[in-house]
Amino acid sequence: MSYEIKGILLEDALLNLDQLAESCQVSRKWVIEHVQCGVLLDDKASSDPTSWLFDSCSFMRVRRILALERDFDSNPELAGLVADLFEEIDFLRNSLQKTKLHK
Amino acid sequence: MEYKDYYKTLDVPREATAAEIKKAFRRLARKYHPDISKEANAEQHMQEVNEANAVLSDTEKRAAYDQLGQGPQAGKDFQPPPGWNAGFEFTGGQAHNFSDFFSELFGKQRGADARQQHHRMRGEDHHAKIMLDLEDTYQGTNRSITLRMPKLDNQGHTILAEHNLNVRIPKGVYAGQVIRLAGQGGPGLAGEAAGDLFLEVHFKPHSRYQIEKKNIFAALPVAPWEATLGATVQIPVPNGLVEVHIPENSQTGRKLRLKGRGIPAASPGDLYLVVEVVLPPATTPKKREFYQTMARELAFNPRQSLGV
Repeated sequence: MSYEIKGILLEDALLNLDQLAESCQVSRKWVIEHVQCGVLLDDKASSDPTSWLFDSCSFMRVRRILALERDFDSNPELAGLVADLFEEIDFLRNSLQKTKLHK
Repeated sequence: MEYKDYYKTLDVPREATAAEIKKAFRRLARKYHPDISKEANAEQHMQEVNEANAVLSDTEKRAAYDQLGQGPQAGKDFQPPPGWNAGFEFTGGQAHNFSDFFSELFGKQRGADARQQHHRMRGEDHHAKIMLDLEDTYQGTNRSITLRMPKLDNQGHTILAEHNLNVRIPKGVYAGQVIRLAGQGGPGLAGEAAGDLFLEVHFKPHSRYQIEKKNIFAALPVAPWEATLGATVQIPVPNGLVEVHIPENSQTGRKLRLKGRGIPAASPGDLYLVVEVVLPPATTPKKREFYQTMARELAFNPRQSLGV
């Protein structure tokens, strides 16, 4: 039997450090190290990890970086750089689509 | 269930070393990386490659898999012989993303171990993608989705079962956002709560609209006199019809912004209409005459900026 399940956007209920770590199956330490080396949260992060909150964008970025580190034994900085490039590719692909609007 | 030839998937010989397997996996992980691959079904290929690597890169799993021998043919129906995995130890891990074959061979341990040791364990969080139509986000919608989820059977074995969910998609969601469904992930053990399911939102390509986060872009075809003299025209947008004023002397490419008419998120996006001047074809002598009159009367040089 099917009943309605209400979905909640991460933007309406941001994840804290523990929730992010659990949902992405990484340790708290992993997240803290990646924030501290600037790969996650950029410069928005305070020095107190308990105050960190993660939105959809951070969540997807963690999953991307995690896959890069796991599949290619990459260090966090290189994985972060590749994730930046993927985000840039997404942006450029979108821009390209917009230029095709009047063709 | 179908037998999977993991060596064939990674394109390595059965006697391949761990280093050769790692190298083969990385080559294929690059080839089928979902963010950049141009291969058809890249995501599905990547899943198969991940599954093969999960077995062949793990000493215990690989040894157990090798016990099955080379007899079965890939894709053919297959049942493992009784006691095939005696003497090996491995944990389930990621079974929800992998095939029935993987789940049957390697997905049984977690439940059985936990029962024996009376572990209490919250269920795993799971991840999936959901493809929406742009129109869905304007009002919110209900989506029926079917996922393959690991589930404990009566013997405490993990099996893959289809799980149907009727999900309420919130209004104003946009691509790249994540929807959390509490308690819809993997089952908890010994009375602990189930994990959550995280749905990554994507939009299906739309024939009229380009979507960039909360903003939407669409072409606005206009006649030359509408673009030149200005006009008010009706145009369909994702949530109905709107009247738009085209300022006079608009050129192709001019963007008209309809504030707040994009995706209705908490802070709504905008809808941009990109003017596209469409010329009426000169298909009759009378129409040709109109153009000839324009050429004479307007004395217009569109290449003036090129210096000719």
